[in-house]
Amino acid sequence: MNIAVCIKQTPDTETRIKLTEAKTVDESDINFILNPYDEFAVEEALKLREKFDGEVTVISLGPDRVNSAIRSALAMGADKAVRIKAENIPTDPNVTAGALATELQKGNYDLIFLGKQAIDDDHAQMPALLGAKLGIPAISVVVKLEVEGDKLTAEREIDGAHEIIECSLPAVIGAQRGLNEPRYASLKGIMKAKKIQINEIDAELSADQLQVVEFNYPPEKSPGKIVGDSADAVPELLRLLHEEAKVI
Amino acid sequence: MSDKTKPSFSKALFSGVLLDELVFPYPEMEAEEAEDLKMMQDTFKKFAEDNIDSEKIDENSKIPDEVLNSLKELGFMGLSVPEEYGGFGLSATAYTKMFELFGGVDPSLAITLGAHQSIGYKALVLYGNEAQKKKYLPKLSSGEMLAAYCLTEPGAGSDAAGIQTRAIRDDKNGVYILNGSKIWITNGGIADFFTVFAKEEIIDKNGEKKDKISAFLVTRDMGGVTSGKEENKLGLKGSSTTEVFFEDVKVPIENLLGERGKGFKIAMNVLNNGRLGLAGGSIGALKVLLKEALGHISQRKQFKKTLSEFEMIKEKVAQITIDLFATESMIYLTSGLVDSGEVDYSLESAMCKVRATEISWIGLNECLQMVGGLGFMKEYPYQRYLRDGRINMIFEGTNEILRMFTALAGIQERGQVLRKIGTALKEPIKGYGVLTDYAAEWIKGRISTERIQDVHKSLSTAKVQFETWAKNLHFSAERALMHNGKKIIYREMIQKRLADAATDLYAMIAVISRVDSLITKKGEEKAANEINMCTIFCDQAWRRVRRNLLMVDSNNDKGMSKLSDFIVEEKKYPFEA
Repeated sequence: MNIAVCIKQTPDTETRIKLTEAKTVDESDINFILNPYDEFAVEEALKLREKFDGEVTVISLGPDRVNSAIRSALAMGADKAVRIKAENIPTDPNVTAGALATELQKGNYDLIFLGKQAIDDDHAQMPALLGAKLGIPAISVVVKLEVEGDKLTAEREIDGAHEIIECSLPAVIGAQRGLNEPRYASLKGIMKAKKIQINEIDAELSADQLQVVEFNYPPEKSPGKIVGDSADAVPELLRLLHEEAKVI
Repeated sequence: MSDKTKPSFSKALFSGVLLDELVFPYPEMEAEEAEDLKMMQDTFKKFAEDNIDSEKIDENSKIPDEVLNSLKELGFMGLSVPEEYGGFGLSATAYTKMFELFGGVDPSLAITLGAHQSIGYKALVLYGNEAQKKKYLPKLSSGEMLAAYCLTEPGAGSDAAGIQTRAIRDDKNGVYILNGSKIWITNGGIADFFTVFAKEEIIDKNGEKKDKISAFLVTRDMGGVTSGKEENKLGLKGSSTTEVFFEDVKVPIENLLGERGKGFKIAMNVLNNGRLGLAGGSIGALKVLLKEALGHISQRKQFKKTLSEFEMIKEKVAQITIDLFATESMIYLTSGLVDSGEVDYSLESAMCKVRATEISWIGLNECLQMVGGLGFMKEYPYQRYLRDGRINMIFEGTNEILRMFTALAGIQERGQVLRKIGTALKEPIKGYGVLTDYAAEWIKGRISTERIQDVHKSLSTAKVQFETWAKNLHFSAERALMHNGKKIIYREMIQKRLADAATDLYAMIAVISRVDSLITKKGEEKAANEINMCTIFCDQAWRRVRRNLLMVDSNNDKGMSKLSDFIVEEKKYPFEA
């Protein structure tokens, strides 16, 4: 089975984002990681490879620093990697999707995995965009997947229920937490990943149709309030939740 | 060590020689290894977050088998095994950083991993022959075998040369027969591979029979190896500590490690090596507990202010941070020296161990103090980190022994100039089990220097403080030698002051070098916090140095000794109010 996994490098969830004076994100002290949802995508690809044989290719777009996220995926066990060179990761998902689709078309992949969304810009558009550009089915927020012959059955989370969808291969799968337990990169895997050459390619990116005007810090959270520490405080708590916080 | 071509910075310091080329610029890890290290750290962090419950490990006095097995599979048992034997061949710097992480996550686990690879199989890596390495290292690296280091005996702790375990060579059958017992052996109950130090009778070149220590590679499956019950300890409860007994163990002669009779040197060099890992683990623990305490003091309010707004709390936070920064600077300067491969670092690694374990102990205690009564409660981690951290000042060379070593090794060079004293000095140093036969010639040709190379202007005050007090350390050491002659080996209170002064000076130069390199890289503005820490630390340090050196000449040592002798004689506190 020939599988591609599209990954993104994102800031660590613990990063305290600092803004520059020009209201852009200051990247200098950010610890970048492999987007956590993409880890589920990589794991699922590796599991299918173990079951059906084949190859897993990791594809990402961005500047040199993105190679470290690619290495993380290789260290988990992926076989090959492609980086589409770009000075920045585009803010418009459509631009990224265009470049990825061009690269994916070359590979004749049976399945294309990716995280259901990136934790930095949270657009969650990539599975659908790729499906549309490649003209193949795309299913996202997938928590369970079975592949048999040239058919797959995917279970996805919807509000209050699970939806079960069948389609034929090739297809795009957006991974959701719960799909699997991503493996840890072993030290052997890390050493092996070092020896794999990342295929770095140039690409023409389309123009951004979306522009980020500026970033702002979220408003500071107001401090919590302790109403009391026994059952006596419940009526007051209810009143405050109702009248002040207006959540009930 | 004699195979090193350059002496240590600190030994030269005692002789009034400032080998600044050894400590500038501040060492930096190669980009490729830094990337590998980050990935290994990420793997461990993720694994720990999902699988390691330190409270439970402490409560059950056991690291779950599944945790150890997973760590074996992931490769964490082979960090210092060279790649050709199935390991990962980490540099001393990367290795120490890994142990900083382990020590922060769970000290019990750190010591289990450390006893295995910092000391358990380290002798094999350093002194093993090809056949021995091929036979055992792949299994040790994969964790199929766990290792333990067996030196200490009931009658031989700090005085390690006094061990009684005996090996009798039986050439006819090609074996040594090993008998004896070792106490407080970390991993004693779970190890299958033991580096054992034992005495054997050797005929020296004059034809005389002599007892000398040799090192042996012993495996549990040789038969006759048993472990005692698990010790009930104050801390590090998850680690295995037992007595290990050897009863008529038949150890094949090919399992003799290194040369016959050279075991003591092997034992000591292994410990020299292991001390950096322990130093790293100690500061790792403090970093984690500081983070915990910061969470509390920035939330908890008293008198309508958060605790972090009170000045006495600020002082604690700042002091812990400065001490961490300075000690970390020493540790990674030293690991950089180790990785450069040609510098004697025995003194520096001893100083790092002493300083790191003590600032960690004080810092952990201050973290507990900052959070008040909550820190005394068992459901919070403060008590556990304190209990776990206490042993660090005792094992792998007590901090007292390491101070004696630091001072005596430092003045040894000058002692040799003063003839007879040199010979007298050599004995105790050897006895303390830390080696020091370094390339003395290297210093001899050097004239004493009073200045180090230029540093960034924002560090110039710190530089002058270092230079001034480095010179004074040299003078004080000379005077101490002149006044005390051979008896200097018994003047431990003076040794302690010289050692502490030297440690502070080494810390100062490490901080200056680190911050200077940082300014070159990032610019003065972005290094503002570090410059501030350098300024404060060097100011604090030179005042300590001054006090210690003044007290080399003027002190109450005689009165203190006399009083102690009296109290010991009385067997209790005899005074009444």
